[in-house]
Amino acid sequence: MSTQSALTAQTVEAGVVAQTGTPARKAPKNRGVRGEKSNWSLTIILILTSVTVLIPLYVTVVMAFKTTSQAVDGNAFSLPAPFTLDGFRQAWTLTDFPRAFMFSALITAGTVVGTILLGAMVSYAISRNWDRRLFRWSFYYLLAALFIPFPVVALPQIQLTGLAHLDNPWGVTLLHIVFQLSFSVLLFTAFLRSIPGELEESARIDGASTWQTFWTLIFPLLAPMSATVGIFAFLASWNDFMMPSLITADPSQQTLPVVQNIFQTQFSNNYNVSFASYLMAMAPAIIVYLFTQRWVMEGVTQGAVKG
Amino acid sequence: MTYGIPMTVLERTLMSPRPRRTRRVLASLLGLALACTTLVGCSQGDGREEVSFHLSKPEAIPYFRDLIQTYNASQDEVRVVLDSSANLQAGFLRGNPPDLGLLNYNLEMARFMERGALSDLSDMPEAERILPEVQDLVDQYATYPGRTSVLPYSVMAASVIYNKEIFAEQGLEVPETYEELIAVCEALKAAGVTPFYATLKDPWTVAQGWFDYTVGGEVDVASFFDGVREEGTEVGPDSSVSFQKTMTEPTTTMQMLIQEYANSDAASRGYGDGNLAFGNGEAAMYFQGPWALGEIAKSAPDLELGTFPLPMTDNPEDLKVRVNIDLAAWIPEASTKKEEARDFLTYLFQQDVMDAYNAAQLGYGTTTDSAPVTDERILGMKEYFDSGRFYQGPSKAVPLNIPLENYLQGIALGADVESRLAVLDADWARLAMRR
Amino acid sequence: MTTTTKTSRDASPAAPVAAASRPRPRRKVEGIYYAFLLPSLIVFTLAITVPAIIGIFFSFTNSIGFGDWNFIGLTNYVAMFSDPAIVSSYLFTFGFAAVSVLLVNVIAFLLAVALTAKIRLKTGLRAIFVIPMVVSGIIIAYVFNFLFSNSVPEFGQAISAGWLSESILANPDLAWVAIVVVTVWQSVPGTLLIYIAGILSIPGEVYEAADIDGASKTRQLFFLTLPLVAGYVVINVILGFKNFLNAYDIIVGLTNGGPGTATRSIAMTIFTGFSGGDYAYQMANATLFFVIVVAISGLQLWLTRGRNAS
Repeated sequence: MSTQSALTAQTVEAGVVAQTGTPARKAPKNRGVRGEKSNWSLTIILILTSVTVLIPLYVTVVMAFKTTSQAVDGNAFSLPAPFTLDGFRQAWTLTDFPRAFMFSALITAGTVVGTILLGAMVSYAISRNWDRRLFRWSFYYLLAALFIPFPVVALPQIQLTGLAHLDNPWGVTLLHIVFQLSFSVLLFTAFLRSIPGELEESARIDGASTWQTFWTLIFPLLAPMSATVGIFAFLASWNDFMMPSLITADPSQQTLPVVQNIFQTQFSNNYNVSFASYLMAMAPAIIVYLFTQRWVMEGVTQGAVKG
Repeated sequence: MTYGIPMTVLERTLMSPRPRRTRRVLASLLGLALACTTLVGCSQGDGREEVSFHLSKPEAIPYFRDLIQTYNASQDEVRVVLDSSANLQAGFLRGNPPDLGLLNYNLEMARFMERGALSDLSDMPEAERILPEVQDLVDQYATYPGRTSVLPYSVMAASVIYNKEIFAEQGLEVPETYEELIAVCEALKAAGVTPFYATLKDPWTVAQGWFDYTVGGEVDVASFFDGVREEGTEVGPDSSVSFQKTMTEPTTTMQMLIQEYANSDAASRGYGDGNLAFGNGEAAMYFQGPWALGEIAKSAPDLELGTFPLPMTDNPEDLKVRVNIDLAAWIPEASTKKEEARDFLTYLFQQDVMDAYNAAQLGYGTTTDSAPVTDERILGMKEYFDSGRFYQGPSKAVPLNIPLENYLQGIALGADVESRLAVLDADWARLAMRR
Repeated sequence: MTTTTKTSRDASPAAPVAAASRPRPRRKVEGIYYAFLLPSLIVFTLAITVPAIIGIFFSFTNSIGFGDWNFIGLTNYVAMFSDPAIVSSYLFTFGFAAVSVLLVNVIAFLLAVALTAKIRLKTGLRAIFVIPMVVSGIIIAYVFNFLFSNSVPEFGQAISAGWLSESILANPDLAWVAIVVVTVWQSVPGTLLIYIAGILSIPGEVYEAADIDGASKTRQLFFLTLPLVAGYVVINVILGFKNFLNAYDIIVGLTNGGPGTATRSIAMTIFTGFSGGDYAYQMANATLFFVIVVAISGLQLWLTRGRNAS
C-alpha cells in the first residue's frame, strides 16, 4: 500500500503541474485588469446599485425582528423597535421548522453526494471511452435532460413515484440527482479533457486497477469541479419548490420552500412571523454560499486571468 | 433549475487541487441521512390494520374525529385515521387513494366514478336504505354501469335565508311568486332596508346562491344538462339547448336583482363579511346554504331566521329548493383495505349516527328511515324536500376546468350576459370534444 | 476490485485513451467502465425517458390518470389550439421569457463590465451581486409580494403616480411586470458570472492596443468586448430563455397565476389543469411545450453556429 500512496502523491504533483502550467500570478491590488487607477465613480454607482439589489433582503431581516404590532403598521423599512425574537419563536413552532429543515437538509445532502458521485463516475467512463459509440451516445443522451422541462415529465413522474413508493423525500432526492446529472456530466467531462491520460497510464503501469485509479487519482483531481457541481446541486435542491410540492405526498415530510407555501394563509398578516420564517429558510443557503463563494469566484477569475 | 455555464468556464474553474477528505464526509452524510429517515419512518405500529378516512368538510371534522375515536376504542382490528388534506386527484394517480372517503358529491367525484375508480357497494345492506329521490340525484351526474359507486350520507337543502324579524317589522309575507318577490324588495327598499346581501368578491357565492337559485327556479336543470351532454360538441347558438339559449333569461334576472336590490358594496364583500353583516341585520335576505347558518349563529345566536325557495315564475307550484349531496361515501377500487373500510362505513351509516350528524349540521337524511328535520331555520324547506321538489345546483354540473364561477362573477359585476353564456357554450363544446 | 487489476495489466499496451486518432484494433472496454456508466443510464432512463414516453403516449387518450380510458388520437391537440386558456398561457409565457432574457442579459453584461473594471471593493461587490441567485425563488417572491402589495403602492401614492398607487399584482395588465422584476432580480447573478468569466478571458493586450489606437472606452465596450463575448451571450440567451419558459416558483409566490388567469404560465396550466382532472389533455399540452422548447433551442443553436464559445 505504501507504493500506492507514493504513487498517488507523485501523480498528483504531476497533475498539478500539467494542469495549471505556470503558477497563477496574483493580480496586483488596486490595479484592475488594465493596470490603471481605481475608478471611484464606478465604484459608487455599483455600491448604489447593490443597495437596490439588497432591498428585499434588508426588508426580510428587518421585518423578521419586529413585534407583530410593529410589523403590521405598514412601514417595511423601519428598524425593529423593540427588537424581538418573537417572530422566530412563532415561526419555529408553527411551521415545525426543525422538521422541515431536516427534510430539506437530507434531500439536499443526498442530491449533492449523489450528483457528484454519479456525475464523476459516468463522466470518467464517457471521457475515457469516447471512441466507443455507446459512451459517446450516452453523453448526448444524458445531456438531453437539459432540454426536457420538468413540467413535461412531471405528471407521469407523480404517477410512477407513487407506484414505486417513492412519493416521499427519497423520490425527490432521486429526481433531483437525475435532473442535475446532465449539468454535472457537462462540467465533469469538460474538466476531464484537461487531465492527460498519461497520469492514469503511469498509475496502471504501477499496478493500479481502473477503480483504484479513479478513486485515488482522478476523483481527488476533480475536486475543484466537484465543488462547483456540488454548490450548484446544493442551491438547486435546497431552493426547489416545484418538485417536492408535487412528488412528496405527505405534507409533514415537506421541505422548507414548500412549507412556506403551505403556511402562507396561516401567516395572514403576522408579517413578522412570515418574514422570520422566510429568513430561517433562506439563511442556510446564504451561509453556505458565503463560505464557498470564494471557490466559485476564485475559480472563475483565476482561471480566466491565466488564459 | 440549472445555471448554464459554458465549456470554457468549466475548463477555467481550475484551482490548486487540495486533497479533500470528501469521500469520508460524503459517506458519513449519507449514513446520517439513512439513519434519520429510518427513524422518522418508524410509526407506532400496534399491529392494527390502518384505514385512511378522507373527510375535508371543515365544519364536520370535529364531529367525525370524536366518532373515529369511539370506533377505534370499540374494537381491536382496525385503526381509522382521519386525513383531511390529501390531494385526491394525486392520490388516485399514485395508486394510493384513501381507503374510505366521505366527500361532497359533485361532478369532480363523478369523474372518478365514471372511470371505474370507485368500487361497487351495491351488495351492502346500507345501499338498500337509500331514498329513491336521493338516488336520482346521484345518478344525475354520472353512473358506472352495473355499480353502486357512492352511498349518499347527507343532503343539504339551500334556498333564500331571510331575517324573520325584519319581515315582521315591515309586515311582509314570504313571497311565493316572482311578482310578490319584487313587491317585497320594493317595500324593503322604500323602508330603507337592503333587500339582499351579496358577497361578489367570492365567486363561489355568486354561483351557489345567485346563479343556482335564479336558474333553478326557472329551468329544469336535470333535463337541461341531459340535453347539453347529448349535444356535446354541437352546443352553440344553433343547438336546441345551450347555456345561451336556455339561461339568458334567468341570468339576466339575477344580474338585475343584484344591481337593483343588493348592497352597493357587494363587489368588495366576501363570504365572511356577508355572514357578519347579515347577522347584524344589515339586509333582509341572504342567498346561502345551511352551512352559513352556523357561521351566522357565531355572531348572532339569537337571530330568528327562516328559509324559502326563490320564486322565479308566477306559479307557486314551480317552487323548488336547491339540494346537493353534501356527503357521500365511497371506497376506491385501488384500496387494499376494502373489508375494513366497509366495516367503518357500516358503523357510520347506523341510523342514530346519521341522524345525529344531520341534526347537528342542518342536513337532510338520505335514507328511508331518517329522522325528519326539526330545526326552525331549515323547516321551511321540508315540504319541498319531502315532495321531491328540488334540483341540483346547475353550477355544480359544470366541470371545474371551465371557469364558470369567474364568468358568473363577471356577470354579477355587470358584464354582458349573452356573450358570457356564449363563451360558456364554446367551452362546453370544446370540452365535450376531448372527453 | 482485484480482478480488474489483472485485466488492466493484460490490456496495458493500449495507447492513452485521450489521444485516440490512429487506427488500431477495436479496443476492449474494461468492465468497470460499464459499472460506472450503467447506473446513471438506468436511473436516467427510468426517471426521465420512461415518464416522457408514458406522457406522450397518454396525450393521445382521454385518460384522467387512472381508471378507464380510450384512444382519441389527435383530439386533445386540436382542442388545445382553440382553447383560450392554453393559448393565452403560451403568449404570456413566451412574452415574459423574451422580455426577461433581454433585460437579464443587458443588465448582467453591464454589471459584468463594471465589476471587471478598475474599482475598489471588487470582491465584496461581486459577492453581493451574486446573492440573489442563492435564495429560493418562491420565498423571495413572497418577499416581493409583500413589497408590491404594501410598500410600492405607498411609494406610488407619495409621488402621485396613479398606476402605481394600487398593487400592480391585482392589475391584470401590469402583474406580469412584477414577475419580470423578480425573475430578473434572481437571474442576473448566474448570467453575470458567465459574463465575468468571458470578459476576464479577453487578454489585456487587446485593450492596450485599442487604447493606443485612441478608441474611447464606450467604443471599446461595444466593438471590442461585446463581440469577443458573443459566444457567452449565445449560451446565456439559449439557456436563459429555456429556463424562463419553465417559470413556476416565482409566479406561485407572487400572483399564483392571477389576477384571474392573467399570469398563468404554461407550467402552471399543466399542473392546475391536472388537478381539475385533465391528465391526458395536459400531457398533450406538455408534449407540445416540449416540442417547442426543443425546436427553439435547436433554432437558436443553429443560427449561432459560428459564435459558440469553443
